[in-house]
Amino acid sequence: MSGVVTFETMGTVVSLRGATPETAAEVRAVFAGYDHRYSLYDPSSVLSRVADGSLRLADAPVQVRDVYALALDWRDRTGGAFTPHRPDGVVDLSGVVKALAIRDAGAVLDADADDWMITAGGDVLVRGQHRADGPWSVGVLDPARRDTVVGVVRLAAPRRAVATSGTAERGEHIWRRAAPTFVQATVIADDVVTADVLATAVVAGDEDDLRRLTADEDADVLAFGVDGTVWATPGARSAVRTEGETTSATG
Amino acid sequence: MRARVVAGGVVSSIAVLVIGWQLGGQPAVTAPAQQSTTSGSGTTGTGTGTSGSGSTGTSGSGSTGTSGSGSTGTGTSGNAAGGSSASGTFAGDTAQTQYGPVQVQITVANGKITDVTALQLTDQGGRSVQISQQAAPILRQEALQAQSAQIQSVSGATYTSEGYTTSLQSAIDKAGL
Repeated sequence: MSGVVTFETMGTVVSLRGATPETAAEVRAVFAGYDHRYSLYDPSSVLSRVADGSLRLADAPVQVRDVYALALDWRDRTGGAFTPHRPDGVVDLSGVVKALAIRDAGAVLDADADDWMITAGGDVLVRGQHRADGPWSVGVLDPARRDTVVGVVRLAAPRRAVATSGTAERGEHIWRRAAPTFVQATVIADDVVTADVLATAVVAGDEDDLRRLTADEDADVLAFGVDGTVWATPGARSAVRTEGETTSATG
Repeated sequence: MRARVVAGGVVSSIAVLVIGWQLGGQPAVTAPAQQSTTSGSGTTGTGTGTSGSGSTGTSGSGSTGTSGSGSTGTGTSGNAAGGSSASGTFAGDTAQTQYGPVQVQITVANGKITDVTALQLTDQGGRSVQISQQAAPILRQEALQAQSAQIQSVSGATYTSEGYTTSLQSAIDKAGL
């Protein structure tokens, strides 16, 4: 058997490896709970009611306010490159909610198994290994050719999470402040919220933002510039291996 | 801006790798321009201060040209041997993208992905065409030659409703990799 469980939620598909059917059902409930509170597509969600003015944010359940506070904290940490505020003023927490659901799902999976992987719309969190002789591995898609993998990230603790953002995204949570510098950013981090938020922030920002974020935050980044350059932190460099190792030894 | 401490082991200073990714698979080494772009002077070892727009040509207009018509039939759906040493052809679920419905199909040999094909389905009667002639088998991709494409997940910037990634992930899931 494949041992892969999949289900649809939040407008995407979640894939689980290493989970029993019972645990998979719990994970599904975790996602459903987040969707119920934060979806702006569901007019009855808590956040939709905040958006339409029928519920004051201050009166929202504490968990919703906590998520908003977390998003604001990330806004500050990213110098505003990541923000939970839509240009029209609506509070949109979709930039953190998927990652938070994955994080909570991870806690559920931890209780059940030592080796698991969860993937939701390109965000990945793992524990342990794929096999005794092989780590969990994630292909990074080519920004221009979606059917081509340009690199493989092999995850090993403490680096357990990968997320990718890009300009190809629509209707998502990237509100860019200027002309794009990067078309795609993949971030490898210890936790999936950090990976997801930073990927969004890098794509929303410019080279200075990239430098600052990689200096300040504990994460590895693989960023693809609109001009064709590829930026990588030392830790991310091994994920892409180029023909003849072009790692530019001029400097 | 915080001053970057450059001590023995700088972990995450960013540096440019000159790849020229949109040339895909080509060695594409353009001479790095001397621009000293890197942050953090004197980073150790890796990531010395090169920069350079490793590009030629305009940034990729991408593969996803829309397409006209095509052959009939969607990708073969695989069935197959279980386990992570699966072999066969596996078609992912059809997913929506900004270019229309897309279905990704992978070929697997002994648990490794040897080919990826993207089918774009027209709305008319399930006719399908390949999205791009550049739908190169990923193992032929020079960037990957040194590595086997043994992956259980993909991470990419998602199109509307996460379509493409979803379909590729779906194909990988069906193969049970």
